[in-house]
Amino acid sequence: MAIETEARWVPIAVSCDILDGTVIPARLPTGPIAVWRSASGSLYANGDRCPHRGMRLSQGFVRGETLSCIYHGWRFGADGACQKIPAHPKVSPPKTINCGPLPVTEANGVVWGAATSPVDAPDQFVGHDALRSLVVAASTDAIASACEGEWVGEAIAVTLGGQNTILLLNPYGPAEVLVIALVPRGLTAPDLVRVSTALEALRRSAEAVGEAA
Amino acid sequence: MILYDYILSPSCYKLRLLASLLDVPLELRAVDFHPGREHKGAALLALNPAGCLPILVDGDLVLTESAAILAYLAAQSGPNWLADGDPQAIALQQQWLSFSHRLAEALGGARLVEMLHFDGDLEALQSDGIAALRELEAALFTRRIAGGTFLVGDMPSIADIACFPYVALAPDGSISLDPYPSIRLWMRALRSLPGFIEMPGIHRLHELAPDPFAKDLS
Repeated sequence: MAIETEARWVPIAVSCDILDGTVIPARLPTGPIAVWRSASGSLYANGDRCPHRGMRLSQGFVRGETLSCIYHGWRFGADGACQKIPAHPKVSPPKTINCGPLPVTEANGVVWGAATSPVDAPDQFVGHDALRSLVVAASTDAIASACEGEWVGEAIAVTLGGQNTILLLNPYGPAEVLVIALVPRGLTAPDLVRVSTALEALRRSAEAVGEAA
Repeated sequence: MILYDYILSPSCYKLRLLASLLDVPLELRAVDFHPGREHKGAALLALNPAGCLPILVDGDLVLTESAAILAYLAAQSGPNWLADGDPQAIALQQQWLSFSHRLAEALGGARLVEMLHFDGDLEALQSDGIAALRELEAALFTRRIAGGTFLVGDMPSIADIACFPYVALAPDGSISLDPYPSIRLWMRALRSLPGFIEMPGIHRLHELAPDPFAKDLS
């Protein structure tokens, strides 16, 4: 069961929220992760914990093709291996120092992560692109019932702001869910704002449902 | 210009920050806010009867509200940072300046309880703080749809500087900033501005400085 959970793509972020040369915090069911895009645009993920002192690597910074810890500057490459320990500039870090790279991929403007490599590609949503993510302090059931949407596999299909919207869900806990909304490609700016506003309203209703329950 | 300053105060920092961005020299007078409560002493109460910081003294002029001081600095040395002429921009700037007081009360309040053990209802302050962060995130996302990065118009303004410090220091009040991607991008844009300065809890973007190990790794 554990393996089944881990070898599964989970929606963790919106692609355009991770600029080249930046790192962000995200979560898998197995725990917090750091997701970063190198200067050349390659996307990587690893455990959100520096092997040195346990600092969150998502608080660190990206330089070129490496991720550095904000605490003592230990620097990690695409394979997770430590390349540099600034306090010991002449030392070649041993291969055993590694921040634990994780599988990550992008589709429909969504970043998907997994604890171990899934066999299949993540779900495809033809003609849709990610709009934005938001964290809702309610259960997935409360979200589904608040929006009167329809379950499509592990996602919810719903009309929001007049648009066919798909909600991808990444439960952080029993009453905390990362929601990533996908909307039809090619909408106008005012349409996008309407969906975003409807998402805010949906969050208020879902959290009210959760409180009433 | 003399700024009565406390290094850990987000309201004082926003003035040091704008002054640095505009390259305006400020004479800093360090006030023993904690634990000395010097701002409640006779000398500073004479300057500001409200008993709080910051206080800016410029000749005969004494200003005690950070939004007013931001406007004063910008009007003198950085008119681009002040909305002018366009009624909508003027109104929006005022709206965000007022909003910054909500941030100060909620996020700043939670921070004072957590960090300096002030009295306060931590849970209520955190809940108000999260509501304000959600509002800011939604507004900044709308700005991104329109191709904007900052709160008002195409350029950073005193509205951004007024809101930035309390947002950036929200984790001091045990409020996570992880759920807010648009806020993260906005803070990054502000921290990338030439002349940006740090305060304890808000560090600079190290990647903007030259790589000290560029030679070793190449």
